[in-house]
Amino acid sequence: MTKLLSILGRAYVIAIFAFIFLPMLIILVISFSADSYLSFPPSGWSLKWYGTVLGNAAFMTGLKNSAIIAVIVAVLSLLLGLPAAYALVRMEFPGRTLIRNLILTPLILPAMMLGLGILMVFTPAGLVATYPGLVLAHLVMTLPFSIRILQTTLSNLGTDVEEAAMTLGARPLQTFLQITLPRLMPGVIASSAIAAILSFDEIVLSLFIVGPRLQTLPVVIYRYVNERTDPMVAVLAVLLIAISLTIVLLVERSVGFAKAFGR
Amino acid sequence: MNLHLSPAASADTAPPHIRIDRLSFDYGGARPAVDALSFDIAKGEFIGLLGPSGCGKSTTLRMFAGLLAPTSGQITIGGQNIVSRPPWDRNLGLVFQSYALFPHMTVAQNVAFGLRLRKVSKEDQRARVAEALRAVRLESFGARRPSELSGGQQQRVAIARAIVIEPEILLLDEPLSNLDARLRDEMRFEIRDIQTRTGITTLFVTHDQQEALTMCDRIAVMNAGKLEQIGTPAEVYDRAATPFVANFIGRANNLATTLSLSAGQPTLVCDGQTLPLPTDLPINAANGSSIAVMVRPHAIRLRPPSSDGLTGTVVRRVFVGSTIETAIKLDGGQTLIAELRPNSDDTALAAEGARVGVDWLARDMRLFAS
Repeated sequence: MTKLLSILGRAYVIAIFAFIFLPMLIILVISFSADSYLSFPPSGWSLKWYGTVLGNAAFMTGLKNSAIIAVIVAVLSLLLGLPAAYALVRMEFPGRTLIRNLILTPLILPAMMLGLGILMVFTPAGLVATYPGLVLAHLVMTLPFSIRILQTTLSNLGTDVEEAAMTLGARPLQTFLQITLPRLMPGVIASSAIAAILSFDEIVLSLFIVGPRLQTLPVVIYRYVNERTDPMVAVLAVLLIAISLTIVLLVERSVGFAKAFGR
Repeated sequence: MNLHLSPAASADTAPPHIRIDRLSFDYGGARPAVDALSFDIAKGEFIGLLGPSGCGKSTTLRMFAGLLAPTSGQITIGGQNIVSRPPWDRNLGLVFQSYALFPHMTVAQNVAFGLRLRKVSKEDQRARVAEALRAVRLESFGARRPSELSGGQQQRVAIARAIVIEPEILLLDEPLSNLDARLRDEMRFEIRDIQTRTGITTLFVTHDQQEALTMCDRIAVMNAGKLEQIGTPAEVYDRAATPFVANFIGRANNLATTLSLSAGQPTLVCDGQTLPLPTDLPINAANGSSIAVMVRPHAIRLRPPSSDGLTGTVVRRVFVGSTIETAIKLDGGQTLIAELRPNSDDTALAAEGARVGVDWLARDMRLFAS
């Protein structure tokens, strides 16, 4: 009986994984298609669509824009998120618990609503279709994640080690730089990586505030798919997955993903 | 106003190395966490701060270290009040229960941390780190990471890191409670040995009376934020000042009795049976008041039952090894535990179900008016 159950359990888990990963596998296969339309299985194999993508000026500009924005968002997410996380974990002030609970609200609110709100504010401020505008919009999505991850890492550290440093003669700033920050590295790397991935993949908010002058890669892809469907789309999807995966692997290599998220 | 500073006292005795003066801390709870705590610590002394959890001993330690600001009172070291100084300006060594080593530094870097902040030259740092590691018998471990060490070794690194800065006082917060039983016994002597060799004044916080009794020069027993008694291990064990101390340190029997002064000689009446009281026993209570009698189990003697004194029935007899533990239910209903020596006359009387008489030497009992 228990043996049957464990076989069923295993089959169930495999089915779930197939549900998640089969579409990706199909896309990966199609990206090597020689056909000029989306079909599965492809009638012939070629790398020509990879060449087409890399030679497409609109895609490459979008990729460059998205990369620049992702890096800036990752850095700002950390610089703004770390002090906030520190204050939420280590300092006592009225409303602390309320703010802690509200910090994830931007993720619960419909992105459509956020996008509309951001557009209303950004249009008069002249931020639409600018780098600062896109960075600010993406920060709305990434900051809650960054703060939450850093908050978890920070509260897992406890205060003993820092207090030990202080009794040995370290002033608060010395303690933070020499003791707290090095121990926070897993959280710092994880939160930056998540912020970069979220920003790189972000589409809903971006759609509201991009313009002909400035487009991000997901928006370019979205617009392209609206008009045409050829294996180029599959290639782009594979490239997006590859970039996200690279970031994840870098994190895994440097600190270990499980550790970065405080287990 | 200040009793400690009366001319007579200061004329013939040097001021104490460390003085805790009416130190209080109030979290805003039902009672202060630490309530007007006062005692002195001599230079080089190993003092135990002993009490159950929540008695205020850890709060006291944190106030010492500057991690908590007292609500009122003073801590003076060498005559200087330190309570307004931040932790980094106190020159104290603190060893945490969790060791709190810096995981991203080697053992040597951990120990050198306090010296580096004191701008000690690189050569002196090396020499002093080596000396401190030798003191804790870890001279060959300098290049390791804390995560590569056992619990006992990490403990010793934490001690080395605290003593290398030559602190005014070494504060140990339950340093043994994270170690397994065998290592705990070893570290007990190890810590005391390191302290004796370095001569650093030490405040040792513990809830374990055995640790306090075996390690400390003097023990300050705390309960509910207040100091119950301070004295040598023998003093707090043999001459407990309060019922709390008597029961917290070592095992104790407590008999509820009533003082009777009517029959000429004072006697204690325990559920109708009388206990003769030696006339020289200092007792300051009115006729008929309740007196708690405290007797250690090993002080209890058995004899054949007789008409005077306490009598009862042996209800349980357990072989413990070095002693025979016997429970005697007195005829009045209260139960005494006696630890008898095997193969003694007392043990011969203590068959389960046997009727026995019970007594003890006057010097073995403590009386508390309640």
